[in-house]
Amino acid sequence: METRSFTDYLRGLDDAALLSLFALRPDLISPVPPELSSLGIRANSAPSLARAVDSLNEWQFQVLEACAALSEPMSEKEIISVTDTSAKFVIPHLMNLALAYKSKDGIRLPNSLREVLGNEPAGLGPVSMAKPSMKKLDEAPESSKKVLERLTWGPPRGSVGDIRNPGPGIAWLLKENFLVPLDQRTVALPREIAIHLRGGKVQKNPQPNPPVVTGEKIDQKIVDRAAIANITTVLQWCEEILNFWSEEPPNALRAGGLGVRDLKAAAEHLGVDENCAAFISELVYLGGLVVIDADDRILPTHAFDLWLTLSPQVRWRTLTSAWLVTSRVSGLVGRADSKHVAALGPELDRVNAATTRKLTLEILGLNPYFSPEIDSFLALIKWRAPARRNPGLQSELVRWTLREAEWLGITGQRALSKYGAAFVQVREDLNIGADLPKPVDHILIQSDNTAIAPGPLEIEVARNLDSIADIESRGGATVYRFSETSIRRGLDHGKTGEEIKEFLRRTSKTPMPQPLEYLITDVSKRHGRLRVGNTSAYIRCEDPTLITQILSDKKVDDLPLRRIAPEVLVCELEANEVITVLRAAGYMPAAESGSGVLLTARRLNRAKSRPHPPRIVGEIEVPTDETLAAALRALRAGERSSHKQSSLREIAANALGSLPRTTANETMDILNKFIKEQRTLSIGYADNNGSATHRIIDPLSISAGSLIARDHGTGEVQTFRIPRITGVAPL
Amino acid sequence: MTDGPLIVQSDKTLLLEIDHPLSTECRRAIAPFAELERSPEHIHTYRLTSLGLWNARAAGHDAEQVIDTLLKYSRYAVPHSILVDIAETMSRYGRLRLEADPIHGLVLITTDTAVLEEVIRAKKIAPLLGPRIDPETIAVHPSQRGQIKQSLLRLGWPAEDFAGYVDGQHHEIALVEDGWKIRPYQELAAEGFWHGGSGVVVLPCGAGKTIVGAAAMAHAKATTLILVTNTIAARQWREELLHRTTLKEDEIGEYSGAKKEIRPVTIATYQVMTKKKNGAYAHLDLFDTHDWGLIIYDEVHLLPAPIFRFTADIQSRRRLGLTATLVREDGLEGEVFSLIGPKRYDVPWKEIEAQGYIAPAECIEVRVTLTENERLAYATAEPENRYRHCATTMTKRKVVEELAKHHADDQVLVIGQYIDQLDELSEILKVPIIKGDTPIKERERLFNLFRRGEIKCLVVSKVANFSIDLPDATVAIQVSGAFGSRQEEAQRLGRILRPKADGRTARFYSVVSRDTIDQDFAQNRQRFLAEQGYSYRIIDADDVFQGKI
Repeated sequence: METRSFTDYLRGLDDAALLSLFALRPDLISPVPPELSSLGIRANSAPSLARAVDSLNEWQFQVLEACAALSEPMSEKEIISVTDTSAKFVIPHLMNLALAYKSKDGIRLPNSLREVLGNEPAGLGPVSMAKPSMKKLDEAPESSKKVLERLTWGPPRGSVGDIRNPGPGIAWLLKENFLVPLDQRTVALPREIAIHLRGGKVQKNPQPNPPVVTGEKIDQKIVDRAAIANITTVLQWCEEILNFWSEEPPNALRAGGLGVRDLKAAAEHLGVDENCAAFISELVYLGGLVVIDADDRILPTHAFDLWLTLSPQVRWRTLTSAWLVTSRVSGLVGRADSKHVAALGPELDRVNAATTRKLTLEILGLNPYFSPEIDSFLALIKWRAPARRNPGLQSELVRWTLREAEWLGITGQRALSKYGAAFVQVREDLNIGADLPKPVDHILIQSDNTAIAPGPLEIEVARNLDSIADIESRGGATVYRFSETSIRRGLDHGKTGEEIKEFLRRTSKTPMPQPLEYLITDVSKRHGRLRVGNTSAYIRCEDPTLITQILSDKKVDDLPLRRIAPEVLVCELEANEVITVLRAAGYMPAAESGSGVLLTARRLNRAKSRPHPPRIVGEIEVPTDETLAAALRALRAGERSSHKQSSLREIAANALGSLPRTTANETMDILNKFIKEQRTLSIGYADNNGSATHRIIDPLSISAGSLIARDHGTGEVQTFRIPRITGVAPL
Repeated sequence: MTDGPLIVQSDKTLLLEIDHPLSTECRRAIAPFAELERSPEHIHTYRLTSLGLWNARAAGHDAEQVIDTLLKYSRYAVPHSILVDIAETMSRYGRLRLEADPIHGLVLITTDTAVLEEVIRAKKIAPLLGPRIDPETIAVHPSQRGQIKQSLLRLGWPAEDFAGYVDGQHHEIALVEDGWKIRPYQELAAEGFWHGGSGVVVLPCGAGKTIVGAAAMAHAKATTLILVTNTIAARQWREELLHRTTLKEDEIGEYSGAKKEIRPVTIATYQVMTKKKNGAYAHLDLFDTHDWGLIIYDEVHLLPAPIFRFTADIQSRRRLGLTATLVREDGLEGEVFSLIGPKRYDVPWKEIEAQGYIAPAECIEVRVTLTENERLAYATAEPENRYRHCATTMTKRKVVEELAKHHADDQVLVIGQYIDQLDELSEILKVPIIKGDTPIKERERLFNLFRRGEIKCLVVSKVANFSIDLPDATVAIQVSGAFGSRQEEAQRLGRILRPKADGRTARFYSVVSRDTIDQDFAQNRQRFLAEQGYSYRIIDADDVFQGKI
């Protein structure tokens, strides 16, 4: 049996070879198979083989195809003769992958592999039963040659009107066994003939060497500058979109995800196109900064607040790392052929997305400061990872990855930047912080009621400014505009006019223009009036004693207070002044609106749910060395114990004959005794189906109706339910 | 990161820091392709627009220069998308050219057949085209020269027009520089226009656009049609031309509601050109019946839409647009670009002010607190009457009186919207008033008196918003205005920005009722004026009475 021989081959591998196999095909150890024979079955299963085949590059695949075209067992020489001498460097790799293996009589393939590769590898037909003489081919009539020409490079099948009454060309070929009939209407070109006609080779275009990527070298400085601009921008976009959603949370679609209209709104808000907006939405979603809340509202999470406090470098790395490994593809959003696919929706996962993304970055990484020409780049990708299952999507994935890498600043001017390179190499220090423009702590106020921050603002200043001015333009600098509405918003958020003026005076490098001062005064005057009634402030308190206390407090003597009700004081001064005085006197007043709603700091909407970034579909992580070693250990142990188990079972069966049977009391006695003496004993144990088996165990302890013991069979500590123990017997 | 004066924003605005040592150099470098949007005291805002970039292409700049300039002066890294966009936009200009062909007449030629294929498939373009001559060339009906340029611009493929111009009927015109000299920038503007063929010259109010027109006529030496906003402006042009050029009285005709003279140089008003008789434009022939060598459009930013339609049909005549701003409130900038031509010259007013050709100006907003009764009247007024209520209060009148008294020695204009209010003011201040129904003769008489300083103060209604020339007004007091429209503000300010003999700072007061919509309009005004770089102050009416101005 071939399977047996494949498993034997695996059994014969040393630790190093197994480790390299696991590293190349991580799906084999997820989960770790109990023993090598299970490993053999798994490694020979079609899905696992298909994965392994997917990991081949074009040339490796061509060699494998050639192997599949040969009959087993085969020799290295045979493989080379139908391909190219460089195939000899490929064969060991195929063996490492267990896509081919050495048996006693030569190289063989796992038998399910042919299923994976199809019945007609490289467009070759079935193996001929007869042994036609190749020399005779030269004598073929013209019409037969034409038929052969059409079938040589596959597909190897052709239909004829009726096999019993074929044309003269076909008739000759059939007669000479150069064609074999498949059914009433179909004939096929046998494999050997085709290979002969192909000049002894399997492939038309063997591609032992990767295609060369063309493009242009770009000045390092320009690339890095462009990249840092992109990094700044993308971080700003993320912050902006989340603040935008915090203020007006969009409702998720019924099917999940962000609706087209909301996406448009976000795009407009950010000043980007919808593709980019979809990308940003997904990016913050991946980072766990936004979530679809229980009430179907799309809301920023608390993780967003934490994220904001991080350094730009960490913020960037968090998002970029999530982007790198995700199976979600934001490029799918809003395409003409899939209108229903929404950002943050459930339909964005694509199996090869992360692999393709990594490969794209890897190839970019080969040539830093080099802007590749897209077609040659795609050709190399296609060679490196021939996508046989969905080739269209692959080239799109690559294009999207390049586009997104630019947005993220991994590239600048389409060439890998130093930040991108450091990121790809998983270096700790990306140096982003040092290269970002230094945060500025001042603004320039102008008399057209704008304030300009000539660089990224310190977060505190930015927050304060956000609450009293509207952002008009973003980029390296930020342009804020003061208006009646924006000042009023600041007042709504609990600032007083004086506080705003004081903040601006402190923050502005230029003197505050007089018209702005007027504006703030005007608005805060009106704002105060609205808050406390027509012309004056009131102080109210549920507790009349506190009111009395204020009235008689010397510290607030200069407040012209009048009590208009037991719980209400009116004051000729403005509410904010009253509050200032009260605060100074040690009271803790809160401002309130006419309807009695407390006016406190700006309200931030956050989701109640915890962040749960989308899971990653279809990818098995490349295991670390530790995982690999652990898997190997477990497997080896399993192997040993399965030997041991069978021998122990034998011993037990021989020694004990039948299952031990004891009464419940006896059982407990013996168990307790053996626990004390730490001796091995044999038990009969019923499984879920009621069939009892022998177990050899070292009892450890008894608790809550269960026996905890080490099972010699599995080598693990297990829990045995005492009622299921049929009996115990010393060994 | 460099230490440049320029910050390129992701929304395609450019922020220029004025106090930076390189700012002047940088401003010169970016002026050809970026439109100045705001110029307050510290940081000026420019904007990159498609039209601006095409203007730059038309002036011979290429994308590489533009990008180099941005990279050179930019303080932070320039967003990649903007660089791509600039290159992309600029490369669109000039791929299509209109040329005169000896056999086929007018032809559209491309350097990129794909573009030609794209545009000839457009619905709006197809009917304008004749037979295909070769893969790169297609015939265009000569009468569609304007139409096709308009449509191509809308498609985003502006065509360069090399089809040339007719010379028009020769007429000797020259400048007569006795007692005055053409200013260097005026000469440059006229030359820039002449070399470009057709196009727009942008100069601030009061910078002497009429002289540029006259200089252009001296270049063309051909019969000229001048289109102006109204009759007063027409008379002014006539005066200027008589004074500055060799033209004689009988060589200049006026074509307006009152007169219909056609002379070698004819000045027509927009109004008469757009007048309809039985549903058809009655005076359209004016464009065709005469062999004009030059057509001048005054105040291009106000050019009414129908005029564009006529202009589309006269693309073989040289066209000069004069304006203070390319910004049109109706968004028809593209029409100006395609039908009159690209921007040929502009100079920021700050530069002209620095050269002493325009008076510096100070804007002062006087806040008036309404009396209780007035507030009540305002609060209970119908929404549509509210503005009138707060704009025409008694309290305002007192303040205006006080201001006039304060500036008794200056040439003062009181400007307003509501005739009742103006009549009242004229009565109280005992000064003449000019309004819509004042006969033109009387207007001219009063203007002349004012010019000679025999009248110190004039009350004027909206008519003053258009192209009048009052060289010696040093103070303007605005009592009411239509909703703070930017154009109106520019015009009003233009009235007082003519250079003063003694180099004094001009003053522009607006009297505003506190806590009313008047104040909201004032806010727009403040924004606009501050954006233009004028200093802006707010004072209280009490300050006026206490003489603290």
